[in-house]
Amino acid sequence: MSPQKQDTLLKLMILTIAAILAFSTRLFSVLQFESVIHEFDPYFNYRTTKFLAEKGFYNFHNWFDDRAWYPLGRIIGGTIYPGLMVTSAMIYNFLNFLHITIDVRNVCVFLAPLFASFTTIVTYMFTKELKDAGAGLVAASMLAIVPGYISRSVAGSYDNEGIAIFCMLLTYTLWVKAAKTGSVFWASLCALAYFYMVSSWGGYVFLINLIPLHVLVLMITGRFSHRIYVAYSSVYCLGTILSMQIAFVGFQPVQSSEHMAALGVFGLCQIHAFVDYLRSKLTTEQFNLLFKSLVLLSGSIMFGAAAIATALGKISPWTGRFYSLLDPSYAKNNIPIIASVSEHQPTAWSSFYFDLQLLVFMFPVGLYYCFSKLTDANIFIIMYGVTSIYFSGVMVRLMLVLAPVMCILSGIGVSAVLSTYMKNLDVSTKNKDKKAKKTDNTYPLKNEIATGVIMIMTSFLIMYTFHCTWVTSEAYSSPSIVLTARGGDNGRIIFDDFREAYYWLRQNTHHDAKIMSWWDYGYQITAIANRTVLVDNNTWNNTHISRVGQAMASPEDKAYEIMRELDVDYVLVIFGGLTGYSSDDINKFLWMVRIGGSTDRGAHIKESDYFTPQGEFRVDKDGSPILLNCLMYKMCYYRFGSVYTEGGKPTGYDRVRNTEIGNKDFELEVLEEAYTTEHWLVRIYKVKDLENRGV
Amino acid sequence: MKMATHFRLCVLAIVLNVVCSANQDSINNDLVNSKVERKIDISSHIVKITTSITIENKGSSSVKSYLFVLDNSLQNKLSFIGAVSKSRDEEKKLDVKLTSVANQKDKSFYRIELSSPLGSGKTTTLEVETVFAHVLTPYPAEITQAEKQFVVFNGNLYFFSPYKTTTQSTSVTTTSSNIESYTRTKPVSVSDNVIKYGPFEAREPFTEAELRVHEENNSPFLTVTSIERIIEISHWGNIAVEEHIDMRHSGATLKGPFSRFDYQRNNDGVSSIKSFRTQFPAAARDVYYRDEIGNVSTSNLRELEDSVEIEIRPRFPLFGGWKTQYYIGYNIPSYEYLFNRGNEYGLKMRLIDHVYDDMVVDEVTVRIILPEGSKDIVVDPPYPVKRGSNELHHTYLDTVGRPVIVLYKTNLVEQHIQDFTVTYSFQKMLLLQEPLLVVGAFYLLFLIVIVYVRLDFSITKDEAKESKLRISSLINEVQDAQDKRSALYQSYDDAINKFKSSKDATTFGSSRKKINADYANLTQQISSIQAQLKAEASDAAEKIAELQKLDSQYKDLINSAITSAERLISNKLNKQQYLEADATNTTKREEAESKMEALRAIF
Repeated sequence: MSPQKQDTLLKLMILTIAAILAFSTRLFSVLQFESVIHEFDPYFNYRTTKFLAEKGFYNFHNWFDDRAWYPLGRIIGGTIYPGLMVTSAMIYNFLNFLHITIDVRNVCVFLAPLFASFTTIVTYMFTKELKDAGAGLVAASMLAIVPGYISRSVAGSYDNEGIAIFCMLLTYTLWVKAAKTGSVFWASLCALAYFYMVSSWGGYVFLINLIPLHVLVLMITGRFSHRIYVAYSSVYCLGTILSMQIAFVGFQPVQSSEHMAALGVFGLCQIHAFVDYLRSKLTTEQFNLLFKSLVLLSGSIMFGAAAIATALGKISPWTGRFYSLLDPSYAKNNIPIIASVSEHQPTAWSSFYFDLQLLVFMFPVGLYYCFSKLTDANIFIIMYGVTSIYFSGVMVRLMLVLAPVMCILSGIGVSAVLSTYMKNLDVSTKNKDKKAKKTDNTYPLKNEIATGVIMIMTSFLIMYTFHCTWVTSEAYSSPSIVLTARGGDNGRIIFDDFREAYYWLRQNTHHDAKIMSWWDYGYQITAIANRTVLVDNNTWNNTHISRVGQAMASPEDKAYEIMRELDVDYVLVIFGGLTGYSSDDINKFLWMVRIGGSTDRGAHIKESDYFTPQGEFRVDKDGSPILLNCLMYKMCYYRFGSVYTEGGKPTGYDRVRNTEIGNKDFELEVLEEAYTTEHWLVRIYKVKDLENRGV
Repeated sequence: MKMATHFRLCVLAIVLNVVCSANQDSINNDLVNSKVERKIDISSHIVKITTSITIENKGSSSVKSYLFVLDNSLQNKLSFIGAVSKSRDEEKKLDVKLTSVANQKDKSFYRIELSSPLGSGKTTTLEVETVFAHVLTPYPAEITQAEKQFVVFNGNLYFFSPYKTTTQSTSVTTTSSNIESYTRTKPVSVSDNVIKYGPFEAREPFTEAELRVHEENNSPFLTVTSIERIIEISHWGNIAVEEHIDMRHSGATLKGPFSRFDYQRNNDGVSSIKSFRTQFPAAARDVYYRDEIGNVSTSNLRELEDSVEIEIRPRFPLFGGWKTQYYIGYNIPSYEYLFNRGNEYGLKMRLIDHVYDDMVVDEVTVRIILPEGSKDIVVDPPYPVKRGSNELHHTYLDTVGRPVIVLYKTNLVEQHIQDFTVTYSFQKMLLLQEPLLVVGAFYLLFLIVIVYVRLDFSITKDEAKESKLRISSLINEVQDAQDKRSALYQSYDDAINKFKSSKDATTFGSSRKKINADYANLTQQISSIQAQLKAEASDAAEKIAELQKLDSQYKDLINSAITSAERLISNKLNKQQYLEADATNTTKREEAESKMEALRAIF
């Protein structure tokens, strides 16, 4: 075989193996548990996908969902990014057209691993554009198993991010290609990829700011050329028009301030190109005069226009989530609903190492190699790396955006190190051993050093592999709908209480029953129990969520008024006191109080009332009496006061808070226990009807 | 032709007449029930009535059949009826058919065909087993979690028969000794959990009197409201069975709250259902138990000698009025159930499976999916079922779809677990259709790739690439030629050695000539390639030139070796001198050879 063919075969093989690995390493969750949808948001996506696959696109587009946000409802078609659902519905329909009878759930479960495989291939192409095929292969192999990405794309984690990372890298690849060639063809493809990205994830805003930033940096460094001009103008125009076709995005690309940077850079491109044209036609003096006046004029016009548009409300102010990106403390101070989500918290330092391991150290190496040979494409990856490292520090979940660039830069770094030292290895064959080795006097121990470096690198890579596999199997493969614990005899104890409760609701309550619960469980209740909920993970209406928070934080009689007002039939709470499940409703309760108290109608609910005078949140005897008598407390601890949970401890010993509860003996007046699961994880109460008059 | 048609029509009419009259009976007043013993078992949630009847024929002609009639209050609740004739130790199953009697349209009659005609004055004993579902009504209809469940049985105190009954007795078996109330028509006696009525003498046909028992019954009132059973046959050796089961607790409904604390602590809720056992055929494997939201993790599987027993725990305990749904499935090897003679196949397996002991199934839909291409399908059920229209099922690699037989049946109990038979014909060659389909698809794919790779779709010609390809192929040729040439060097050595030992100059001369000719050929070939390469790749051509130069040096060395060998043979050189010359020659040759090797490698 000729060397070229060997080369192709080798590349193909490594890439295929990496892609297969990317798929199979994400199957831990299916093997350890079952083929099941994970967590919260994926349940909503699964439900909508099922609807789309069964009823068709137009019904999906016009879908008004009366199962959520009772009594308001939700227009699903116009308030989601449909890319994910459309993708899986298309795969589902295609397979069933071929008589491959696979159900929607399995398509949804395995979609994220499938797209992880695609991402691996795209990473290869992207890195190949940046450096060479070798670096591409290293980056692709690293990306296949990087935990930061796996955390959001294991089998069953059916979320927008699963396909969005693929779309993002595809867009970047095509952008770099377009910027390198200056061809309209690649630019149009890039716009299409951008459209797919917009249709699938709100994170597209990062893209539409990063690409203009790249162009801007190229302008500043004097690398602006016709190629960049053609590429950016095409991508921006086409991409913006395409992105406006998504109902949820609508006119935002021309109105909201998040997209203004892209528009500004587009204008700047035109000016820059025009200036370049003038410069080529005019003498230096004439040009300087013209240039100064032009800058002044256009600057003032643009500033004025922006000011007027903002004043008239044409350009919406930045949304809270965006502010919290720039200022990590913004959300905490202003929007409790954003701050209450754990994945919106700033990232802990340890989680960088946990999610990226070796990449953390190889990232600067890659950056060094990029700087040492600066090209247009390299500038892009540097910009991407630097910005995403900032964002991932602000919000845990943006680790996802960082992981690919870490892999790419580390791939470049590792590949460069390896190819530098591989050359120095003395790989002479046997029959030449007798001849004296040529020694380079300027480089003593050349062979030994090279061997050492390569061995260190190899062991790093092996450790990386082990670390990634371990993290994947231990930390990121739990579906969170089924919990497990180690039993005494080292066997696995399964807590399937969530599904037990949801299935009970599905089978044994009236079809139109309204379930009140904290918003975390909204998506799961509508998808698994098929019942109407008041609030869900969409969190679009803060006052409504606040109303639920008020009900939970009020004493029974006040709560009853709210529940009657909202037509609640059942109330569902998560209680971990018996099993020691720590993310239960009592631990989330302060957020309910905060959100409940954040609106006018809940102004009487004050966070401080729920603390002890010392400012502690306790459920034992010293706890604040308001807390010990509110609805949430009563629902969680109803009859818990008589239960022995641990040997040597009094009854009513809460295993999460590690205290004996303060208010043990009470009866519910307006509620009755409807169902409690085997391990008391989920408790469902029925709201009693009004009492007959005169009784 | 026309005559034939007429004749057929006539035959058809006659047959139809016979059929109709077969379902129309009249009461033979000559028959008398001389002794009747009824055992009513209300200890579970179904009512089993076993009636042992001694018949006497008081007429003059022999009698072939006996009419059995259901109590008016129970006639819509019948699930199963069966009869055996009892004579000494022998038991013989008898045919039971639904029939009707003129003027008695409101009653359900069953005709029992006697095993042998009953002659005048003779007696015989029958045992009729009837099973009724949904007869026991919970009273009170709603209970709290702590309360126990009480049910009422309403029946007929006497044996309901179209014939006179001479003497009869009835016993009612209850669940426990806790009997709230019962009809106190004398003679009656109660011992533990059995209430005995009778004997009663000489009752007229169709005598009725109230029999009401109110008792505590905490047995699981579990009703399967529907089963959809799917049997999928694969001729590759497997039968997959899947059952979609909807069930409901049909006892007294739960009133008020469900308290998990009391349920765990006080073990109350005695009438609730925590789990039950299902039995599958012993060969069942890959058993799964799921519902629409995923795997139900609470189940245990035990392999018994003659069956696989699975302990099914629904996700939640079932209290009165609660329902649940699940599906369960397994695979069994087909050789136990599928038989064939040539292209004719017969499938014999259970129409329904065991779900739990004393089960009550309201309705069943059985779908039997036969392999694609099955024809001439004949279904033989063990008892009358309703046949739905055939469907088509498409799954992996199907083209026209698999035929699906649909059967419906309502009101089933354990006694209905019987085998059905389906026969059909299937061309064995069709078994290869699916693998061939896959092979064909891959073949096509590879073919397309092969064609695509070999075709040039570009509009412009890529000169550089083509010349590169050309050069590499030429260099390959040079390398081949060089390899051959080094082999020839070896042959020179061999020839010299042979010459030294044999001292045969003529043979040596001829072999040398032959090698020389080959050598000249190869050298010529290389130089011609060198000429070709000169235009396209000058550096490669230069390297070849160098190679040629080294080669000619090598050739000279060989020639000198030959001369010295010849001189040694003709004694012009003594041994010592020869060895010295040969040694220097060999080192020089090795040097040249390694240089050539190096050159060849860097092409």
